[in-house]
Amino acid sequence: MIRKIISGLVLSLVACALLTAGGAGDTTDDGTTRIGISKIVAHPALDAVEKGVQDELAARGITAVYDLQNANGDVNTATQIATKFKRDKVDVIVAIATPMAVSAANSVRDIPVVFSVVTDPVSAGLVPNLSKGEGNVTGLSDKTDIYAHLELFKRIAGIKTLGHIFTSSEANSAAALAELEDACKKLSIELVVQSINNSSEVKQATEAIIRRVDGIYLTTDNTVYSALPALVEVALSQKKPVFSSDPTSAIEGGCVIASGFDYYKAGRATGVMVADILGGKNPDSMPTKFLTDPSEQNLLLDLDAAKICGITLPADLVKSANQVIENGKLTTR
Amino acid sequence: MIQGIVIEGLVFGIMALGVFITFRVLDFADLTVDGSFPLGSAVMAMLLTAGVNPFFAMVAAFAAGGVAGAVTAVIHSKLKIPGLLAGILTMTMLHSVNLRIMGNRANVSLLRVDTLFRSISDYASSFMPGEYGILLFLALFTLIVLVATNLFFHTDFGITVGALGSNQQMITSQGMNPEVIKLLGVSLSNGLVGVSGALAAMYQGFADVNAGTGTVVAGLASVMIGEFLLRSNKIELLTLRVILGSILYRAIMFSGRQYGYLINLTANDLKLITGVLIIGCLVISKYGNGRLFSRKGKKA
Repeated sequence: MIRKIISGLVLSLVACALLTAGGAGDTTDDGTTRIGISKIVAHPALDAVEKGVQDELAARGITAVYDLQNANGDVNTATQIATKFKRDKVDVIVAIATPMAVSAANSVRDIPVVFSVVTDPVSAGLVPNLSKGEGNVTGLSDKTDIYAHLELFKRIAGIKTLGHIFTSSEANSAAALAELEDACKKLSIELVVQSINNSSEVKQATEAIIRRVDGIYLTTDNTVYSALPALVEVALSQKKPVFSSDPTSAIEGGCVIASGFDYYKAGRATGVMVADILGGKNPDSMPTKFLTDPSEQNLLLDLDAAKICGITLPADLVKSANQVIENGKLTTR
Repeated sequence: MIQGIVIEGLVFGIMALGVFITFRVLDFADLTVDGSFPLGSAVMAMLLTAGVNPFFAMVAAFAAGGVAGAVTAVIHSKLKIPGLLAGILTMTMLHSVNLRIMGNRANVSLLRVDTLFRSISDYASSFMPGEYGILLFLALFTLIVLVATNLFFHTDFGITVGALGSNQQMITSQGMNPEVIKLLGVSLSNGLVGVSGALAAMYQGFADVNAGTGTVVAGLASVMIGEFLLRSNKIELLTLRVILGSILYRAIMFSGRQYGYLINLTANDLKLITGVLIIGCLVISKYGNGRLFSRKGKKA
């Protein structure tokens, strides 16, 4: 008997709470800017995006109330979060990572959805193509722009034949290869490729191609980076520059240029899009943003290695770098 | 919000029903669920992308889940591997299978595919909020699943499945093969989980290979919360209370997300809030038995 009374009480309490919540949801439109940010899991990179969005809006003098949601790694709660944002009538939804973006786009039609760090928004069905948004959805991709990298490399080091080393069993490396081939064709660069299976083969692979190429380009390949010192040693002994896509592993020196994705800056760039939408821009007309400008990425330059290779780096490029190695010393700015 | 809770409660309630069949009816701790749930999602996503009828895809998801359950049962009975480990093994293997089904992608989006839910929502939105259309469809769908499950447990075979969970020795002494019964029971359970995964894929708009994480825990919590709501040994109420438990479980999650900030909790604390609320429910359900009112040393 007591059980029945208690369970009845609990049920009615829950029902009451939810019903009043349903009523309260309609009165939240009181002029304050409300932004809902959802991410799939607490992770340093994704947290940096979240912080970047808030910092950018604060820097632009936009004071907003943030609803920071986190699926705690459980993708089944993605729609739950989107529903909450919809009910709370936030002004803009920022969805970090693919599952959050897809569920927000799926269940919300009348609130702008800005996705962030989604690698391939077209195959995720978020936008029809990269040159425009769709309805209430637009955002930012975290894809490395290989073409922009090669263009810079060609301009600085006069690359005609490019060497590339990658791990055949890494899915992202295999995917990047197709894009690299495409970019080389567009820039009329000849590509020489060596594939490896484990890090002990890196040195051998570099020696095999280093005389035939003008420089070596590396995409984000974990296995190759674990043997980066060996690769750099071989390359520099032949006075050939190395362009890496991972500034973090390049701080030991040796790579003339290392340019890569910075999640905090991605957050800032997402914040710019949010600000544009708050300012009245229509997501439908906003293309998917890529971080191509060196100033939006992490850029590390090794002036010592450049000197060895006989390359003079343009002053404006050195100025835009946030990490510079000179005379064996790393300066971060 | 209410409709969101009930929709999710019904979608995941069918999964909880599967968990109920293994854990409670068969007394078999089956962890295959964490793999068969995304398996159902993957099958649904790929078939929908290929333009297959959603109802047929649902049947396929049921069949795929059933096969996964059968694999666990065979590993358990033929290779004499403990049930818990057999489930974990199948679940682990299913991760690769699911990736393979989804064409080596971790996430398959259904945004550009006409899911059943979108057509229902579009159709219903001419005379009521689209979500209510989905809600009605799911309520009807769940009702059919419940009736079918109840009918199954009224057949001789269904009763045998229940008896196996209570007393395996009796089944053996009746000249029946407990392995076959267990196999069919676990298959049925995982088939339901597969259907639930398929519904979740259509509801969320994507299939994700990591969607299985924590499924069995959510299912068990729903089953236990259901036991706190209704006390009975009639199969109709036993299955109904699983669905009710699932809805209440989602309500707890939603309210944690909605009101957690009032006591200064962030989204990172949600799992803790959910856990504490469920423990609260379970403790209250014990209260009702009068156990907490009787002092130690006295007769209960």
